[in-house]
Amino acid sequence: MNSNARPFAALHPDIGTGPVSTMPAVDPAFFEKEREHIFRKMWINMILREEDLPNAGDYFVRDIEVLDVSVIVVRGDDGKLRAVHNVCPHRGNRLVREDGGNRKGFQCDFHGWVFDNQGELVFVTDEQRFHDLDKPNLGLAKVHLDTWRGFVYVNLEETPSQTLEASMADFNQDLKPFPFENMVLAGRYRYEAKANWKTTMNAFQESYHAAFVHKRSVQQCLEDDADPYLASHRIKLQPNGNQSISVHLPPHELTPTEMIAYGMGATFTQGGDADQAAIPGTAQEGIENWAFDLNIMFPFSRINVGAGWYYVDAFWPITHDRTVYELAFYFPIPTSAGAMISQEYSKIVLRDLSREDLFTNEVTHNALRSGAIKSIQLSDQEIAVRHQYEKVTEFCGTESAGDDHE
Amino acid sequence: MTMSSGLPENFKHLEPYQGWAHSTEDGRMRQRLEATMDEITDYYRALLPEVNNIANHLQQWPLDAIPAAQKPLLFMALMFMETAMCVEFFHEPDVPEALGAEHIEIYAGRAEQLVNQSG
Repeated sequence: MNSNARPFAALHPDIGTGPVSTMPAVDPAFFEKEREHIFRKMWINMILREEDLPNAGDYFVRDIEVLDVSVIVVRGDDGKLRAVHNVCPHRGNRLVREDGGNRKGFQCDFHGWVFDNQGELVFVTDEQRFHDLDKPNLGLAKVHLDTWRGFVYVNLEETPSQTLEASMADFNQDLKPFPFENMVLAGRYRYEAKANWKTTMNAFQESYHAAFVHKRSVQQCLEDDADPYLASHRIKLQPNGNQSISVHLPPHELTPTEMIAYGMGATFTQGGDADQAAIPGTAQEGIENWAFDLNIMFPFSRINVGAGWYYVDAFWPITHDRTVYELAFYFPIPTSAGAMISQEYSKIVLRDLSREDLFTNEVTHNALRSGAIKSIQLSDQEIAVRHQYEKVTEFCGTESAGDDHE
Repeated sequence: MTMSSGLPENFKHLEPYQGWAHSTEDGRMRQRLEATMDEITDYYRALLPEVNNIANHLQQWPLDAIPAAQKPLLFMALMFMETAMCVEFFHEPDVPEALGAEHIEIYAGRAEQLVNQSG
C-alpha cells in the first residue's frame, strides 16, 4: 500500500482536483475547435513502420477522415520515404484507390496523368493542348513526413509548428531505447465505436477500471486482496500533454492456456518477472510486478511497451460522437509454430479485452450526451484523464461554442 | 483454404475437429462466435492436451515452410486459443458486455502471411 494514497495530484498542482466538465466530450462545436487547434497541427502516427515499406515503389494509403485528407506514404526509387496528398494536381481526382502495394508510379484514372514514385509529374496525356504547364511544380502535393524509431508520422500543417522529435518530448529518453526493431506485426485490428474520442480513450488511461470492466478477461490478475484496483505506482504527465502510465499485475496462477502460451513465449499478462533482464525504454526496473507502460503521445496515439511485445494504437476521431480505434500488436518474429501459437493467446486476450473497454465507452458517451451529469469526478489514479481535458481546453477554451447542445 | 484429407499419424484422433482449422484469425474468431458453448468446450478439451505436442511436432519446419498437409494442425492449435477464452474466462462463445464483433476488422500479421503464402 502507498502510505500516500494520492501521490500524483501534488506533483501537478496546476491541473487541480475538482470535477471536470463533460462539455468537451459531448459538444459538436468543441470538436470543431479540436479539429482546427489540435488535429490539424499534430504529428500523426500512421501506425506504419519504415520496414513495412522496404522496397522502392512500396506504398501505403491512409485516409485521415477528421482532416478530410488521404495521404500516400511511398518509398521512391531514390530510397527515400515521402508523404504526398492522394490527389491529382490536374483536376483534383483521387489518385489511388487501393490501400497499398508496390508501384513504379501512379496514374490518375480521370485523364491519365502519370507521377513517379517520388511524386514528380512525368507524363501528361495530350500535353500539346495545355497552355504553359509548369510540370516541375505540378508534382503531387507534399505532406511533411518524419520518423521516430522507425515509426512513420506525417504533419499536415503548412509549416509544422514543432518537430516530431520535440513533440515526443520525454519519450526521447524514456521510450526511445526500447528494442522495436526486434519485433514484427503480429496482428492488426480496427474497431468502430460510437463515442467521442476522449471518452473512448479515457478507459485506456487508468487501470482502476480493470477490476470491473475486465473482471472476466483478466480475472486471474485481480485476486490480490492488498491491491484490488491495481493502483498505478507511476503516472508521468508531460507538459505538452504526453503521458506514461505503468501498469503492474500481481503474480497470479496461470490458467492452463496461459501456461501453454507462456511456455513458448512472453504473454500479455505475464512477462515482467523480477529475474528478467532490464528492458530498455520501459519503467520495468523501478516497479514491482511491472507488466507494461502505456505511452500516450498527445493527443490520441500510443506506443505501449511490455516484456517481449509492444502495441501501437490510436483513437482516430471521426466526428464528435464517432471514433475508430486501431491497434497493431508486435512480437518478436516467430521462427517456429510454437512462438506463433503462443502469440495468438496474447493477441486474442488483448483483442477481446479491447471490446470490453469499447462497450463501456459507447454506453458512457450516450449517458454523457443525455446531459444527466455536467461533470465527472476523477481520483488521483485517473489524473491522466484530468490532464487530457486540461490540455484540450488549453487549446480550445472552456466555453461551449454551441451552447444548447443538450 | 481446402482441408487436407487427413492429419499426420500422431494426430489422427483429432480428425473429427478438422473443420475448426481456419487459416486466418478472422475466420477463427467468426467460427468461435457461431459455435455453441458445448461445441467449444468439446474442442477445448480435445485440444488442451495436444497443443504442446502440435507445437513440438511442427518445430521441425520454419513457419514459411510448413507443408500443406501439416498446416491444419497449426490452425487447430491457433483455434484452441480462441476457445480457451470462452472456456476459461467468458463461459460463452462471445465476449459478454462488449462492443459487437460486427464492428471489428481483423488483418493478418506477418506470421499469418508467411504461413498462408507458402506451399
